[in-house]
Amino acid sequence: MRLKPLDIVIAIAAAGLVAFSAVSAYGTGGGQASAVLKGRGGEWVYPLGADRELRVAGPLGDTVVEIRDKKVFIEDSPCPNKTCIAAGSIDSPGEWLACLPNQVFVSIEGRRADGGVDASVY
Amino acid sequence: MAASTLRSTKGPADITALLGAFCFFLSAIEYMVPKPLPFMRLGIANLPILLAADLLPLPWYLALALVKVFGMSVISGSLFSYVALFSLAGTLTAALAMWLARKGFGRQVSAVGVSILGAVASNAVQMGIASVLVFGDAVRLIAPPFLATGLATGALLGFFAELFARESRWYARARGEMHG
Repeated sequence: MRLKPLDIVIAIAAAGLVAFSAVSAYGTGGGQASAVLKGRGGEWVYPLGADRELRVAGPLGDTVVEIRDKKVFIEDSPCPNKTCIAAGSIDSPGEWLACLPNQVFVSIEGRRADGGVDASVY
Repeated sequence: MAASTLRSTKGPADITALLGAFCFFLSAIEYMVPKPLPFMRLGIANLPILLAADLLPLPWYLALALVKVFGMSVISGSLFSYVALFSLAGTLTAALAMWLARKGFGRQVSAVGVSILGAVASNAVQMGIASVLVFGDAVRLIAPPFLATGLATGALLGFFAELFARESRWYARARGEMHG
């Protein structure tokens, strides 16, 4: 089959929207990387350096979020499909986990403290 | 039912019923496919709606979209939760975007462009609702992979719809009957 010119215009416009959203999401950020937890009751920020287990209350119950070895993952969730648990762990700024049924969002924001080169001179 | 329905189409009600049944079936398939991230869907249950944009008058077309929302919500167990609102808004937005693109651009656009438009519009509206109802500003982090998935799956679904429309005798007959 042959694509029509408008197909290409629509595909390019959609790709532009993806690129714009990526720049908006990942193009900024400063400070130490930290885990940001959002739930129905508010928003909490934790450093990645200290291991801990956290509970975020949602309409279905508590979502258990764990910070271990500078990685963040959802250990347990009362939601039916457990997609948030299956998503695994996150450890880099811009990465996120979400549980739509229990209205919990976990992300890493800021800048990675170790690894990576911030600047170089010659 | 299937054999006699496939042999002849009697009008928009028959076509809506058959495509609605396909929506249920494809929703079940969609539900079985593991999702790499929350919100990510293949969108294969939208295939009958994409095909119907060329066949059905608007009231029947919207009825088909509502059947798809109902089927998807029943199968995923989210019918009586606020999650169904995402499905309703996303599906109706995609359906209207695809119908307007088909009616507005006619043969200047193929099912690929129509499908991409529907997928991206649906994802954008769902993110808007997620921003207002649940995640606030954090939605900006969800947007890139969600929109990129919509672009990729929309394009693939559009290619398949084009092939189906070209090869299916049932589809050719239904189009002939609906458009005189």
